[in-house]
Amino acid sequence: MEFGWSDDERAYRDRVREVLKRTLPVDWERIAVHGPGSDAQTQFSRIFCAALAKEHLLITHWPKAFGGDDETVWRQFIMAEELWAAGEPRGPQYMNVNWVGPVLMQFGTEAQMDKYLPPIRAGQAIWCQGFSEPSAGSDLAALRTSAVPVDGGYRVTGVKVWTSYARHADTCFLLARIPSTNGTVRGKGSIIILLVDMRSPGILVKPIPSLVGEGDIHEVFFNEVFVPAQERLGAEGQAWEIIQFLLQHERVGIPRYEFSRRILDRAVANLKATGRWSDPTVQDRAGRALMLCEAARMLVYHIVDAKARALAADAFGSLARWAIVQADNGVNEFLTEFVPEGLLGEDPVQQAHHQRAIVAGVASGAAEIQLNLAAQRWLELPREPRRS
Amino acid sequence: MNFALTEDQMSTLAGLDQLIDAVAPPAPTEPCPFYHSANFDRAVAEAGYLDIAREDGFGALDAALITERLARLPCVIEAAASSIVAPALAIPAGTRPLALGATDLRHASRFLPVAQVLLIERHDQALMIEVDQANVEPVETLMAYPYGRLKTREPLKTRVVGDGATLRRRWRIALAVEAAGCMAAGVAQVVEYVKTRQAFGRPLGAFQAVQHRLAMAAEIAESTKWLAWRAAWSDSEDDAALAAGFAQARIASLTYDLHQFCGAMGLTLEFPLHLWTYRLRALAGELGGASAQGRAAAIATWGS
Repeated sequence: MEFGWSDDERAYRDRVREVLKRTLPVDWERIAVHGPGSDAQTQFSRIFCAALAKEHLLITHWPKAFGGDDETVWRQFIMAEELWAAGEPRGPQYMNVNWVGPVLMQFGTEAQMDKYLPPIRAGQAIWCQGFSEPSAGSDLAALRTSAVPVDGGYRVTGVKVWTSYARHADTCFLLARIPSTNGTVRGKGSIIILLVDMRSPGILVKPIPSLVGEGDIHEVFFNEVFVPAQERLGAEGQAWEIIQFLLQHERVGIPRYEFSRRILDRAVANLKATGRWSDPTVQDRAGRALMLCEAARMLVYHIVDAKARALAADAFGSLARWAIVQADNGVNEFLTEFVPEGLLGEDPVQQAHHQRAIVAGVASGAAEIQLNLAAQRWLELPREPRRS
Repeated sequence: MNFALTEDQMSTLAGLDQLIDAVAPPAPTEPCPFYHSANFDRAVAEAGYLDIAREDGFGALDAALITERLARLPCVIEAAASSIVAPALAIPAGTRPLALGATDLRHASRFLPVAQVLLIERHDQALMIEVDQANVEPVETLMAYPYGRLKTREPLKTRVVGDGATLRRRWRIALAVEAAGCMAAGVAQVVEYVKTRQAFGRPLGAFQAVQHRLAMAAEIAESTKWLAWRAAWSDSEDDAALAAGFAQARIASLTYDLHQFCGAMGLTLEFPLHLWTYRLRALAGELGGASAQGRAAAIATWGS
């Protein structure tokens, strides 16, 4: 058992930091303030990801056959920690390299790979994820958006909601359902995945003003949108398998605790500079917030370690996700109580952290769903009977 | 970074498991507030498990793995101080059991009624006090360790065995490791109970209200364990304070929930849950409690 970084891993982290220092503009904090989905950050992501690509740091964990370097899982994660702590300058493109690309490599046709992988590799592609619907969020299998088979493809009709980055996206990774012949909704087997050109006629994107920053959430209306058959990913009936694969790539998730840890460091520096650090209560509370960050780090590292050793995924990820929510909110509570001026126009990075923290328990499946999964799959408690 | 046990660690724990199977007493059949086994304590010590950190190629992490495993048992032995604290101080192997004492010797100390020596921190020094058992008065308490206090506090045979910071750091690690074992065992005990206890026609564990809080308890237990093992590995001030503080800060809510889900049964001595939860409650108040650890972690990380 070993809890330290190797010389090689430390050098890699230093290199990522050096590239960030060299690549991020002096006004980066101003660009980043409105979040990864904002106009400014999306625009900057095309510059930044192109620069990362030139440094051979954009898709390093991809297989060599697809332009990557077969980098280790730990290096991939070091990169993710540094980028998330810096405000995620890849903007929406983190999704592309984390799971859109790997899913296409695994399940895409040659034509799909030729079409979609080069722009991802060049750091120029913006994707959105058409999963959640007004009546299907964490219970994804309840989705109702329909994809009616027609000559040469499908006609898609329905509404997606909470869709991050939709306003800027070139392509939507869309889940839809082939209706049964008698009009009833069928199970997971009728879900298909379509790669939808967001400029297609019949698509309407409406931003939803929110507390979590610009461009993060939208409604997307699909009105009889034609999607060619060659844009279906995988076979009909294979979507759930692809989603499970996708979730495997997402199982580590975003290292949110690293941003929380860095903003805590920054808050302590501020408290010291303004003579407020010597208060034992402040020290105690900062220490407790730090405990939450480090607990989340250890549980996430446990998952990264399992992935690095090619162990099968289990429900430990749900425990880690809960720990991450505790860390983000614990640090947010500390900042709100002891450096409130940061949310009153004095620290754009603190505001950005606040906006990330309040979404931590909602994004990518509600925290309560993670608790259900942990209870039933980790502790093996019996399922709550369904209401008849 | 590699979270897998080494071959040596796996082999050590397998050997310990065999010893546990052969010698450790099963859960008590008679109601008892604590369950100390001198026989098992002796067997573990004689087999050398508590001296593992003194061996070449082994260290505090290996001692932590052993201590965590022992803390999951319903019977309690003095393992944490012997295996994790003593090797960092000038305390010869075999000088044990050790009691870790409050600075104010008028208060009771854990394991004092079975201890050969008492360790305290005074004036930034680690002091070892030889214990004359005739001078120890057992203390009746709900806390599930043998507790006792010194009848007279002068004259005592004391010796400086190291600096106070080392004692405090290793004590924090030992506390976190022991808490991790107790949490894991307590959660497992309650999970089994709510799987079988029926209410309103279904197992208690099928109610989402119960599931969520037990999942939270599992997260606390896992976080405590991994923070404790990292602290044992790094032996650093910040990791030690973080691990002990995280455990102490969560003991109240965790033990409340574990007892709550067992109802009145959880308040009886015949149901052995208290053998872990009341060890945890004892640990929650050591070294100044969670706030002291919070401040220590903050100062170790960011300076004063």
